[in-house]
Amino acid sequence: MSDPMKAGKTALGGGKEYRTLLIFAVAVFIVPAWATFIPGDVLHMDIVNIMVFAGIYSCVVIGLNLLVGYAGQISLGHAAFFGVGAYTTAILCTRFSWFPTWLGVLAGVLLAGAIGWLVGVPVLRLKGHYLAMATLGLGEIAFILFTQLKWLTGGTIGVPQGLNVSVAEIPSLSVFGFRFDTDIKFFFLAWGIVVLLMLLNINIIKSRVGRGLRALHSSEVAADAMGVDTARYKTRVFVLSAMFAGLGGALFAHFQRYINPESFVFSVSILFITMVVVGGMGNLWGGIVGVIVLTFLPSVIQALPQWIPGIPESLTNFSNYSLVLYGILLILFMMFMPQGIAAGLSRGLAFTQKRGRRLRDRFEARKYEGH
Amino acid sequence: MEYWEFHVGRADRRQRALLVGSAVFVGLVIAATLISKGSTGFQWIVSGITVGSIYALIAMGFSVIYSSTRVINFAQGEFSMLGGMLMYSLSTRGGLPPWLGFIFSVLIVTAIGAALERLTIHPMRDQSVITIIIITIGIAIALRAVAKWIWGTDPVKIASFSGDSPIRFLGAAVVPQSFWVFGFAIVVVILVFLFFNRTLLGKGMRAAATNSDAASLVGVSSSTSSLIAWTIAAAVGAAAGIVIAPINFAGYNFGIMLGLKGFTAAVLGGLGSAPGAVVGGLVLGVLETITAGVFPSGYKDAVAFLILILVLLIRPQGLLGRAEDVKV
Amino acid sequence: MAEERLLEIDNVTKLFGGLAALKEVSFTVSPGEIKAIIGPNGAGKTTLFDVLTGILRPTSGTVLLKGQGTVGLRPDQITAMGMIRTFQTIKLFEGMTVLENAMVGCHSRTGSGFLATGLRLPASRREEARIHEEAMGVLKDVGLERRALEVGTNLPYGQQRMLELARALASRPEILLLDEPAAGLNQYETGELSALLSRFRERGITILIVEHDMGLVMDISDEVVVLDYGEVIARGAPEVVQNDPKVIEAYLGIEAD
Repeated sequence: MSDPMKAGKTALGGGKEYRTLLIFAVAVFIVPAWATFIPGDVLHMDIVNIMVFAGIYSCVVIGLNLLVGYAGQISLGHAAFFGVGAYTTAILCTRFSWFPTWLGVLAGVLLAGAIGWLVGVPVLRLKGHYLAMATLGLGEIAFILFTQLKWLTGGTIGVPQGLNVSVAEIPSLSVFGFRFDTDIKFFFLAWGIVVLLMLLNINIIKSRVGRGLRALHSSEVAADAMGVDTARYKTRVFVLSAMFAGLGGALFAHFQRYINPESFVFSVSILFITMVVVGGMGNLWGGIVGVIVLTFLPSVIQALPQWIPGIPESLTNFSNYSLVLYGILLILFMMFMPQGIAAGLSRGLAFTQKRGRRLRDRFEARKYEGH
Repeated sequence: MEYWEFHVGRADRRQRALLVGSAVFVGLVIAATLISKGSTGFQWIVSGITVGSIYALIAMGFSVIYSSTRVINFAQGEFSMLGGMLMYSLSTRGGLPPWLGFIFSVLIVTAIGAALERLTIHPMRDQSVITIIIITIGIAIALRAVAKWIWGTDPVKIASFSGDSPIRFLGAAVVPQSFWVFGFAIVVVILVFLFFNRTLLGKGMRAAATNSDAASLVGVSSSTSSLIAWTIAAAVGAAAGIVIAPINFAGYNFGIMLGLKGFTAAVLGGLGSAPGAVVGGLVLGVLETITAGVFPSGYKDAVAFLILILVLLIRPQGLLGRAEDVKV
Repeated sequence: MAEERLLEIDNVTKLFGGLAALKEVSFTVSPGEIKAIIGPNGAGKTTLFDVLTGILRPTSGTVLLKGQGTVGLRPDQITAMGMIRTFQTIKLFEGMTVLENAMVGCHSRTGSGFLATGLRLPASRREEARIHEEAMGVLKDVGLERRALEVGTNLPYGQQRMLELARALASRPEILLLDEPAAGLNQYETGELSALLSRFRERGITILIVEHDMGLVMDISDEVVVLDYGEVIARGAPEVVQNDPKVIEAYLGIEAD
């Protein structure tokens, strides 16, 4: 091994992770380029549009992975914070047409964080299944409030149609006069934010705070004994993940231009947690991998009949079997990659690298013998 | 000596106070309802007991799997959904006599439950609980989708076991099916309770959840235990789904809410405790129906979950559950 | 005499249900000394550590650290006051490297929060560098600096014990509570441990040690406290305690082989 003193320092700075983030950013930002060159009817899906949703979900899931994967605290109710972010900006920006949209987003993030703190302080005393149940209950209560507080949220119809307001849709997001009003523009906004959140995420995980979170995940007693204020860490990371979810929700509202409670039901919370687990809990890139896989999966399943000719006509009614396949794939992912796809990928990568190196060594050796 | 006995007494007293407090609270709510609403109030309570028995039945399924494997099965509600839908196909549409339709439906769902355990849960037994929970979520999604594929999206009605003419009971109208649900809940709870507390196999299964070595001494491997638990849970779930279908209708997506409520009831009463499931279910059902009567009905579910969170914060192990040893 | 007491345990009782794990335990620890607590299994030694470090709250009694009461304080607050412990069953942090484990030990003396680390503010970067340096320093102290980048839980057993020690040391404690640090170590490793503890003492670290290895206890400790069924049955210099008939009956008699 090389000098650990030196090697430790680079690992400490997270050099490798920042490099990966850079490569990732470049890879994502060229997606629209090739998506526009490939005619839409080849892949039978609107890649940029799906990627926008993936970007929005990534905001939520990055935070959730910090909470679940690193700190080891489960939440089955994060759709609630997603909803708080969405409703806050949606209501502000439709009730008051003068309200700056970026300020609405900020308000959504802060309110989600504040509610996260209010519920987090009592609830995070619970552990394991009990915490799962309590967060599930909170998520359900939020959903019921979204549906029942008709004067505020427009009930099941949602914002803005369910409200008595003059605007027909939630205004598009505009920052300093620049309007993010097309899929492409929103794509760059959403993924730009994702890259920033990832940067924040890497910084936290590769630092004192990240070590504290991982320590409390491994053993709360030992972390306590080493001087980590575990209760405070749990609350803080919960609030942070609620804010990330609120940000995702606010973006969601301004992209979709209307919202109703359906986007914040229990199964959405489950979808978020599933994205974390499928991607890889406690894996830096797990969240994003999980989001991309699970956001594209339904579209891929729907597009299958067009890709593979000869699939019987009766199956082209996707809505019937796509969910069956979705469920089965979810089970298979968990069975064959229980550590998540991201971990599976990096293992696979390491394997091919090792093989490549071995092949190269053999080649070099032969060259040497030849001489 | 006296000194520490005082402390033990205090801990016991606190627990008892909480139980008595909860009972008094529920009693007061019922009394207030009866006094202020008269026969309407009584009607609410009677319907609440029916609804509560439904929740209790679903809660049993959660409890069986939890107490023997510490897994929470998110597909539990789907077993009930499948039971109801199969009953519809076999008896209502297929013309089988109800008792035969009942038996076949339960058998099919039980077989599905056992097969799912062997195919998906068993190979993953060494994985973390969250991984297994996600697998059960996958199972739920797939089962729901299959049901939608086969039966479509419209809810279906299943004939009641003994007619629909309501029975007058102290001024309240009770559909006969309610008695079936209530009776069935009692029978199932007694059977499950006896199984886990009186038979060697049941005791061994409970032990298997916490200490597989001790369990194997009694001759129960955690693998068999898991299979049996899933089989029982699927059977109980399916039978529950059939008994409640005439009251509730049946539909491909009914499993989610049934599952959530059953789960809430199970936690309320104490996960893993059979009597707890009944108490949890009844308390939840009655409070929910009364809330629905007094407040706008949309809030009734919120009350259920609010109660759940309060119980978790004050007494995480549920009303009748026993505190588990905290691992240090 | 008042400043001579670093740690004062006064009439500490801890009840579990009907069972008294500790009964009116009292003793003091002076700065710079190595005090050993011995006693048969189940005598309440680990419970005492749990009470001292704030994991358990005593049913009654007081604990003073540097003259300040610690009952009711959180474990991390007590650690920050300069008292830290190791565990009888090794509790290294899973999935973390040897270095990262040691770095967690610096937690109580550092303060960067979510915002500072998330934005990599200069102060937090400087602090990270300092934590890194100090963690490497304590790893060097216990001879683990060459394994800094390995996953802690993959180390051989003896080295895991050393890492636990290093992790505790990283908090720069005034008093170190060691819960059976020699358990599972071979004779050579125990010898190293003994030398290490003596070096700690030279640096002015006070040590309270629970240990079964009588050789080690007699070798390093200034004073021994004997617990049996949660009660202090004897205390004094090692050689005095060794010959106390009550102790021989309760402990050495059973252990003699």
